[in-house]
Amino acid sequence: MRYNIVFFFITIFAYSQNDTIHLLEEVKLHGNFSPKINAGYHLQIIKDSAIQNNNQSLGSILQNKANIYFKQNGNGMVSSISLRGSGASHTGVYWNGIAINSSLNGQTDFNTLSANGFNQIEIKKGAGSTLFGSGAIGGAINLRDQIYFIQKKEFGLQIGLASYNSQDISFKSELSTAKIYSKFSIQGMQSENNYPYLKTDLSNENAAYKNYHIKGVLGYKLNYNNQIQLFITYSNNDRELSRTLTAPNNSKYKNSDQRILVQWKNYGNKHNSSLKLAYLQEIYNYFPNKNNTLFSEGSSDNYIVKYDFNYFFTKRWNIHSGLENNYTKGNGTNILKKERNRTEIYLLTHQNPIKKLNYNISIRKGFSNTYNIPFIYAIDLKLKILPKLNIKANYSTNYKLPTFNDLYWNFSGNENLVAENNKSAEVGLDYHTKNTNINITSYRIQSDNLIQWRPVSSSLWRPINIQSVTSYGLEFELNTVKKINNHKFHLQTQYAYTVSKDDVLRKQLIYVPYHKANASIQYNYKKWTLNFNQQYNGKVFTTTSNTQEVDNFWLSNIQINKNFLKKKINIGFIVNNLFNKAYQTVAYRPMPNRNFKLKINIKI
Amino acid sequence: MNLFKKLTIAILLLITIISCESDSNQEPYLGSYANGIFVLNEGPFNNGTGTLSYIGVSNVMTHNIYQKANGEELGNIAQSMYLHDDKAYIVINNSHKVIVANRYTMEKIAVIEGTNINNPRYFVAVGNTGYISNWGDASNATDDFIAVIDLNTNTVTSTISVGEGPEDMLVNNDTIYINLQGGYGQNNKLEVLNTDSNTVTSSLTIGDVPNSILKDSNGAIWVLCGGKPSWTGSETNGKLIKIENNAVTNTLDFGTGKHPQHLTISNNDLYYNLDGKVYKMAISINELNTDGITGFDGYYYSMKANDNFLYTTNAGDFSSEGTLKVFDLSTNTEAYSKTTGIIPGNIIFQ
Repeated sequence: MRYNIVFFFITIFAYSQNDTIHLLEEVKLHGNFSPKINAGYHLQIIKDSAIQNNNQSLGSILQNKANIYFKQNGNGMVSSISLRGSGASHTGVYWNGIAINSSLNGQTDFNTLSANGFNQIEIKKGAGSTLFGSGAIGGAINLRDQIYFIQKKEFGLQIGLASYNSQDISFKSELSTAKIYSKFSIQGMQSENNYPYLKTDLSNENAAYKNYHIKGVLGYKLNYNNQIQLFITYSNNDRELSRTLTAPNNSKYKNSDQRILVQWKNYGNKHNSSLKLAYLQEIYNYFPNKNNTLFSEGSSDNYIVKYDFNYFFTKRWNIHSGLENNYTKGNGTNILKKERNRTEIYLLTHQNPIKKLNYNISIRKGFSNTYNIPFIYAIDLKLKILPKLNIKANYSTNYKLPTFNDLYWNFSGNENLVAENNKSAEVGLDYHTKNTNINITSYRIQSDNLIQWRPVSSSLWRPINIQSVTSYGLEFELNTVKKINNHKFHLQTQYAYTVSKDDVLRKQLIYVPYHKANASIQYNYKKWTLNFNQQYNGKVFTTTSNTQEVDNFWLSNIQINKNFLKKKINIGFIVNNLFNKAYQTVAYRPMPNRNFKLKINIKI
Repeated sequence: MNLFKKLTIAILLLITIISCESDSNQEPYLGSYANGIFVLNEGPFNNGTGTLSYIGVSNVMTHNIYQKANGEELGNIAQSMYLHDDKAYIVINNSHKVIVANRYTMEKIAVIEGTNINNPRYFVAVGNTGYISNWGDASNATDDFIAVIDLNTNTVTSTISVGEGPEDMLVNNDTIYINLQGGYGQNNKLEVLNTDSNTVTSSLTIGDVPNSILKDSNGAIWVLCGGKPSWTGSETNGKLIKIENNAVTNTLDFGTGKHPQHLTISNNDLYYNLDGKVYKMAISINELNTDGITGFDGYYYSMKANDNFLYTTNAGDFSSEGTLKVFDLSTNTEAYSKTTGIIPGNIIFQ
């Protein structure tokens, strides 16, 4: 198979054409998330208007808008993603194209990421390691800051007051000219988070949190062909770890993330390229008793060099290639002080041989001083079968590399671990009209050599490449907009059916719901907006034998907004958990009862 | 099994049940759980509840008996249970409480909790006084203690400071032996508490990580020490210690890399679990056996002998139900096995 693909590349390189072509705007704007080079995948983009309107954590936005399942250890606590039945470290999370999943545990805690101030969130469901690297198996999510060289001067202030003594405030400025772009934002929030546990006398004790996020973006247009960009973020989270229904807690967790990215973008007539230099740092401190000074800690430093290059042979054929080097140092109370280096290259060819057909073929190979990185490949295509109906399909092989904790956890880490490997296929139908789009996708994923921590003696657990999982499912999406005079309706519904089974036990994995759905309807009338959101989470099993479960739940939120002074001021009122339902996403960790939020947005 | 055999067994069973019924007419009815064996399941690590299972007549297993009797759950990490007079004392580690229940009906009577119950591990009682070993703050090596309980009021009357990681305890007349296993670390002491004065009268240095303790028919105390595991970076050998008159009289060394667990006794034979095998040793012989018992293989999460049977539990993947396997010590064969709750950590006999 491998040789066939190499041969294929050779043959397409062999013929070339000299058409002068324009830049493909799309690739320029979206990088690896460009719809063109992901033709056979379902992409979703959440725009900044929706991000601001929601004014919620990134996790809540993805849950409500992209129908993604999250497992939350109570409100504001650790929130981990599960896409297409995969584990928390099997969704790639990116910040302006740079992978930001923790080097220590391979995951992102979606309650420590703020969506505030990003221009858009790009979501790709389905595996794509050839473009996105390790861990992009359930899907990939990118947080993007867009730089525009236009005349702009805007300041925004947002204040929110909510139940459980919660406050948040954020300030944002965006100043740009034809040559210089700048964006700065600062956001802080805190909450007592002491909601009552419905149907009990308990409340969410030891759950207070506070966090702040600072970000800055600078862009400088050297000339028509060259731009220099700088992105900086710093976030700091300080959380108590909440009790459960059966046990109190007095522990606490502090963590901070720092990210710096410098990017040089070059646009030519037939090519464009970007060179990224990034530094990522994560630090955590865990206090088993918050009243005590004793704590354990961990940190990682990540140095990344990434070069991406696109070349357009013709209007209908371009290649997209990249080279990435990732050097990581980890250190902490519980992990050995270690470093690792890996270099990965990838190559993708995009062709549009006839108008109805777009397809991509991609390959990736990595090299590391720590482990073997497998060779992987992917093919995806989009075929127009009727004027408004496209068929999308893809097949890919993928991997996830062991994390620092897996490899180097004191005395129990396993340096002999190999990469988890994965095969994934999907077929989907996409129907698109001006006001409506319907998508239906089915997929199948086979994952092998999955790393699991298992007891190897009475007192020792070690990670081993042991589990095999087969997942398959169906996703459905319907969006439609209807306008009658001044009345505008927007209906958005999504449903996912997910089966993810351990190949040995033949049981559904724990915390993977068979059914997950959401529906939201937005109604606009002049200065008023009303948003009603329904979410359904099917039951999930909590034992590997599927004998115990967390009940399914329906959740309803309602939001009403009004604009004043030519949209300079927007006031919104939100009711979460409208029907005051007792629900949990993780067993014995109740989520909030009915709660309220008032927010004021001022823009000048 | 053919139909005839099945029928015969069914009839025999029926007769047994009927005869039991007529026997019990002579004794007052105490409750549903008067004659069987309890299996206490710790429950999932992070969030969830422990459960109590019961094996009654004809080895029928009933799960969640505490929840059934009280309509509430035990709490997070059910560590151990102790039967004393007509009561059961169930120690719930991570919920920092000890539940007092009627041992025959499992109906809750009281809960011992408060600032003087902190990371409780085990319970023993002498007369009207209970003793609960507590780790205190698990990250603090110097705040470990024994809480002394007035069993009439179910309240803590005083606390006695002990070394790090008090675990299982053994009552011997007016003395309580306390294994200092070391909590999250490793300790190597056996502390001796006098129940008349409620003071620690002596502390014996034994092997590293004492994990089980018992008294034989001659009155000698045996303590099994697991030794420090290899992941500590300073591995030590497991040891079997014999104590007579508050002094170590014999030490048997298991050798390099050997970490035995679960010392238990049936008649005059000691049993323990090591490297996936069960070993047997007569108390009269001062030498370790080199061969395990054939057919008893397993890495057990707990193991206890009673009435010529050896009860073992296996926690499986720790995220689903475990199993109980019972061996007949007179024939050295498996008698039966049962599914337990999640992480079966304790077997309790009446």
